[in-house]
Amino acid sequence: MKISGIRGWHWHVVLCGAVLIQLWPLLFMLSTSFKTMDEIFQSTLNPIPAVPVMNNYLYVLKNFPLVQYIFNTLFIAGIIAASKIITSILAAFAFVYYEFSHKEKLFNALLLTFFIPITVVMLPNYLLLSRLGVLNTPWGVILPQLADAMGIFLIRQAMRAIPRPLIEAGKLENAGAWVMLTRIILPLIKPSVIAMGIVFFINSWNDYFWPLLVLQDKSRYTLPLALQMFISAEGGSEWGTAMAVAVLTSLPPLLLYLSCQRFIIHTFMQSGVKG
Amino acid sequence: MSGIVFENVSKYYGEITAVKGLSLSVQEGERLILLGPSGCGKTTTLRMVAGLEKITSGILKMGGHIMNMVEPGARNIAMVFQNYALYPHMTVWENITFGLSIRKVPNGEIKARAEKALEILNLSGYEQRKPHELSGGQKQRVALGRSLVKQAPYFLLDEPLSNLDAQLRLQARTELVKIHELYRPTLMYVTHDQIEAMSVGQRIAVMNQGILQQLDTPDIIYQYPANTFVASFIGAPPMNLLQGRLCDGNLRIAGCDIKPPAEWRNLLASHSELWVGIRPEHCRLSDNSLLRGRVEFTELLGSQRCVHVRLQGDELVLCVFPA
Repeated sequence: MKISGIRGWHWHVVLCGAVLIQLWPLLFMLSTSFKTMDEIFQSTLNPIPAVPVMNNYLYVLKNFPLVQYIFNTLFIAGIIAASKIITSILAAFAFVYYEFSHKEKLFNALLLTFFIPITVVMLPNYLLLSRLGVLNTPWGVILPQLADAMGIFLIRQAMRAIPRPLIEAGKLENAGAWVMLTRIILPLIKPSVIAMGIVFFINSWNDYFWPLLVLQDKSRYTLPLALQMFISAEGGSEWGTAMAVAVLTSLPPLLLYLSCQRFIIHTFMQSGVKG
Repeated sequence: MSGIVFENVSKYYGEITAVKGLSLSVQEGERLILLGPSGCGKTTTLRMVAGLEKITSGILKMGGHIMNMVEPGARNIAMVFQNYALYPHMTVWENITFGLSIRKVPNGEIKARAEKALEILNLSGYEQRKPHELSGGQKQRVALGRSLVKQAPYFLLDEPLSNLDAQLRLQARTELVKIHELYRPTLMYVTHDQIEAMSVGQRIAVMNQGILQQLDTPDIIYQYPANTFVASFIGAPPMNLLQGRLCDGNLRIAGCDIKPPAEWRNLLASHSELWVGIRPEHCRLSDNSLLRGRVEFTELLGSQRCVHVRLQGDELVLCVFPA
C-alpha cells in the first residue's frame, strides 16, 4: 500500500512518532552506556553523550563473567529454539499431510493454548520440575518450552502453501514421509523455518520471568537475569554498567533479526498473521 | 501385460459425481486420450489411475492386478502434471534423477538414463539450471524427462501442453508421439483440446459430466459421433446440429422439405423428430440449394473461411476453401 497526498503526510508524522517511541529506549540505553555516572544524572534525557567514554564496557568486560552468561543464554535459547522448530515441523507435517480422527478438533485445541497465560501454567510447571529435580539447572528452563503452538500454526500455514502436485509427484516416486519432509517440504519452506527459528531464539534469549523462577545460582543466570544484578531496588544502581550489559545483551538478537528480517516478514505475511 | 482396465468405476465427492460407472480398457502400449470439457471427470479418472484419488466404487486393474488399494508409489507410474510439478529448489539434473535416487537405482544407471533422456529431449547443457531459469517448453520437457527416466510401463499426462504457446504445442505434440513410439508405454493423456486429442491419440475416450460418451479411434469419433454431445464437441468449427421433423415422407429442416436418402428410411421409421448433424466442411454455398439462408458474417481461418448462415430458426456454419 502506498501512502500519498496530504493524508499520507499526516500518516508519516504519526508513524515517525511511533517509531521514535519504539526507538527511544534503545537510544537511551545506548547513550547511557557511553556516559559517565555524573553525566547520567546531570543530563539524563540528552541522547548524545558530551564525551563518549568506554569505561562502562571496559568495566563489564573486566569484572563481569559475560562469557559465562552468554554461554548460559546461548545454550538455553539454542536448545529451546531448535526443539521448538523440530516439534513445530513434525506436528505441522502431521496436521497437513496425515488424516487422523479428530484432526481439526485437535488443531483447534492446540490454537487455544495461545490464550493460556504463563501465570496459569507457572505453578504446575514449577512443581513438576521440582519433582524431576531439575530446578536451578538449564533443563528446568528448557523443558517446559520444547514445543510452541504458534510455531506449529505458522509452519502448518507454510506447508499448506506448497502446491499439491509437488507432494503428489513425490508420492508417485514412492518417497516416504522422511524423504518427503527433508528433500521436498523443508527446502520449500526454508525461509519460514529460518524465520521461526530466529523468533524463537530471540524470545528465549530475552526471556526473563521463567529463568528467574527456576535459576537461583548466579553462575547459571542468563543475560537478562545477570543484567538485573546491576539494578538495585534500594538505589545506587550502576546505570552506566547496566546499560553497557544491556547493549551487549541486545546485540546478538538484534543482529540476527536484522540479517534475517525479510524471512520473518515473509513468514508472517504468508500466514495472514500480523507480527 | 500392462493394460489398464476400468470396471464400472465411479468417484463421488459427497453429493457431487465426478465419474460415473466408467468401464473402459486401455491396451498395452496404446495412447488413449481422455477428452472432454472442464469438469467432465477426465483428470479425476487419470488421478484414480495414479492412486492420487480413491475410487468410490468399481474396480481398476493394471497389468491384470486390482489396484484400488495400492499406494501411488507402488503402481510404477510416470506422470506429467499440468503445471509440471518441478521442484523449484532442485536443478534440472536433480529433478530428473530424484525418483531414481529414492528408488536406490545404481548411480551409473541413473547417469546413463538421465543423459539419454536429456539428449532425447534436447536438454543437454541445461543440467545445472533451476526451473525458474527455464522457458515453459523447457520445463515441460524436464517434466517429460523425469517421467522418461523412470521407464515405467504406465505414462500419465495431465494436460501437459496446456501452458505452451500454439507453435510450441504443435512441436511438443510431435515429440511426444515420437517418444511414445520409442518406449511404447501404456499412455493415458488428458486434454480438453480436440486437435491435440486427434493428433496424439490412437483412441479417444470422450467424457461429459463424469460419463463416458464414446470410445473409439479419432477417425470414427469424427465421422460417426455416438451422440449430439460428441458431435458438437469434436470438430472446429463444430458440427451443425439442425432439428429435423418427418413430414409426409420428407425431412423438414429449417423450414425446407428435403427428401431423405434411402439409407435413412429405417431410422426415420422409428423417429419422427431427430437431430441432423452436418459437418461444416460437408456443406457448400449454392444458388440451387433447397436450404435458403442469409450469410451473416465470415471468418478467415487460414486455409479455410467459415461462413455463418442464418436459416429459418437455425444457424449453419460452413467451411469454404478459397481457391
